[in-house]
Amino acid sequence: MLIKIKRGWEKPESAVTPEHLFWNRRQLIKGIAAGSILAGGTALLGGDAVAQADPSSSLYPFKKNDKYKAPRPVTPEMLAATYNNYYEFGSSKRIYEAAKALPLRPWEVKFSGMIEKPFTLGIDDLMKKMPLEERVYAHRCVEAWSMVVPWSGFAMKALVEMAKPLAGAKYVAMKTFMNPKVAPGQRAAWYPWPYTEGLTIEEATNELTLLVTGAYGKPLPHSMGSPLRLHTPWKYGFKAVKGVVSFEFTDKRPKSFWEELQASEYGFWANVNPDVPHPRWSQAQETVLGQDEKVPTVIWNGYGEFVAHLYKDIKGEQLFM
Amino acid sequence: MAPWQDSRGRLAPLKAIAFAALFVPAAWLLYGYLARTLGPRPLTEIIHASGDWAIRLLFVALAITPLRQILGWPGLIALRRMAGVAALAYAGLHLSVYVADVSFDLGKAAREIWLRSYLTIGFVALLALIPLGVTSTDAMTRRLGGKRWRRLHRASYAIAVLAIVHFFWQSKLDIREPVIMAGLFLWLMAFRLLPTAARRGGAMLAAMAGLAVLAAALAALIEALYYNLRVGAPLARVLEANLGFANGVSPAAIVLAATLGAVAAGAARAAFLAIARRPGTGARALAPAARA
Ligand code: HEM
Repeated sequence: MLIKIKRGWEKPESAVTPEHLFWNRRQLIKGIAAGSILAGGTALLGGDAVAQADPSSSLYPFKKNDKYKAPRPVTPEMLAATYNNYYEFGSSKRIYEAAKALPLRPWEVKFSGMIEKPFTLGIDDLMKKMPLEERVYAHRCVEAWSMVVPWSGFAMKALVEMAKPLAGAKYVAMKTFMNPKVAPGQRAAWYPWPYTEGLTIEEATNELTLLVTGAYGKPLPHSMGSPLRLHTPWKYGFKAVKGVVSFEFTDKRPKSFWEELQASEYGFWANVNPDVPHPRWSQAQETVLGQDEKVPTVIWNGYGEFVAHLYKDIKGEQLFM
Repeated sequence: MAPWQDSRGRLAPLKAIAFAALFVPAAWLLYGYLARTLGPRPLTEIIHASGDWAIRLLFVALAITPLRQILGWPGLIALRRMAGVAALAYAGLHLSVYVADVSFDLGKAAREIWLRSYLTIGFVALLALIPLGVTSTDAMTRRLGGKRWRRLHRASYAIAVLAIVHFFWQSKLDIREPVIMAGLFLWLMAFRLLPTAARRGGAMLAAMAGLAVLAAALAALIEALYYNLRVGAPLARVLEANLGFANGVSPAAIVLAATLGAVAAGAARAAFLAIARRPGTGARALAPAARA
């Protein structure tokens, strides 16, 4: 009668960040740079193996760009890498192991739609063309938790310029890989796989919008969306599509994965706003991963000076859902 | 009598073991909280785990009556009250940790419960569980008398429905567990629809086997309807997924396995007793033990 379904958190104790990693942040950040303090942790995270197998690993760490400030210290890598929504690999947060099944090379990225000439580019060639840099950004999940991560990647603006969109292109639709063989979640054929997200061209070319290839000074772990994912720090995390294989430029607003599933809860704009609750919970506060106390959520997740102007003239839209 | 004693005050091993087992999930969560093994959002984990245990224990309580008959094990009744009270306790833990998670801001907790329908439903379920818990002491049971007590405690059926709705509603994408719960609930309720005279023997077992298939089919239908209404998925496509294992074991298959498994266990026991009672079989010596 008792249905015991193993829950994500029933993990061996070793899967947990040692206490000192929670609290000794300074040393932690220095340690990440020196690659030392997480030695125990990286073995568990498989970071070494992943980094070595990844042909881009020699490019890391990228040059730091300190222009953008995060509101809090960097989240321990162990937490950021092992607490993830990646429904392709399961509906719990513990998909770290399962996600490793995804082959990361070859990884072709397709550019299509309203651009001068459609083309396809391997991820390593793409990275060679892009201005690689590291930025520390906050990430606010729609589920009212947050983290701060040193992301490595490049401004999406550079990618859009390379793609040469036609004048009529208004949106960029991005799609995740489709491979139900390794991604069991995608076998549930009634969901609108592959995961799709979209931005307006103005959003995509905003200086904040980052396409991410790495974090913590090395290639992304599978769980965080390797080899290519989006990060728009003023929007809820579900906009940050992972495992991207396609950029399509279009004049029609793309319907994103979650919008398709539940438009009343997850909209196209998804800008962070503490005063607009999710229908099932308040967005006024957020839990900082690894920290007991909640902190107040800030409009635009604190990045208003860079993005608020994008929305000045948009009327009659649910900008914060 | 203490939870580990029978009505004559003697130690009852089955009750003692069950009583101790009821503390295991809570102890595990407490340990996990203190040892920081619950991940980066420990309170959220406890909210989910305690909710799971509240509904599971409620279902254990609801399963006792059918299982006594199906398994031919009247002694199970000793566990019903314990399971029901434990369901209330885990639901209480669930709410308490929710309150802790909003930083003990009672005003905010109350506002949230009022504003979010799925929380309102959970709250009504919890409120309704309280009188059932309070009337579960020996003295209260005696004071109410069997008939009134039973009538009052039929509220647990409605509470289970509320809990299932709350479970569905809080789900994001994964509705496996609520679908399983809904299927099991239908089967447990179906038993109660059998005429009293039909609640015994081989005919009852056959009926419960048939109802097991029906409950599993309805679980599949509930799942398909959910996806149909929510995502517009074609009913046939979701139903079809039950026919293979490409998506893993379907919730309907789990309902079928659990319910048919119970019937099969009951049938095996009945068959064993039938053989054991036949004169001259060696198994006879075992029969009294099996009957106890
Ligand atoms: C005031 C009463 C209640 C409150 C405030 C409450 C609150 C919650 C919350 C916040 C969640 C998690 C939702 C999320 O993370 O999105 C949850 C889940 C859940 N609750 Fe309740 N709840 C209440 C009563 C109950 C009762 C009475 C039961 C069962 C008898 C119950 C069973 C569950 C279950 C099974 C889950 C899902 C856990 C999982 O599998 O993840 N809740 N509840």
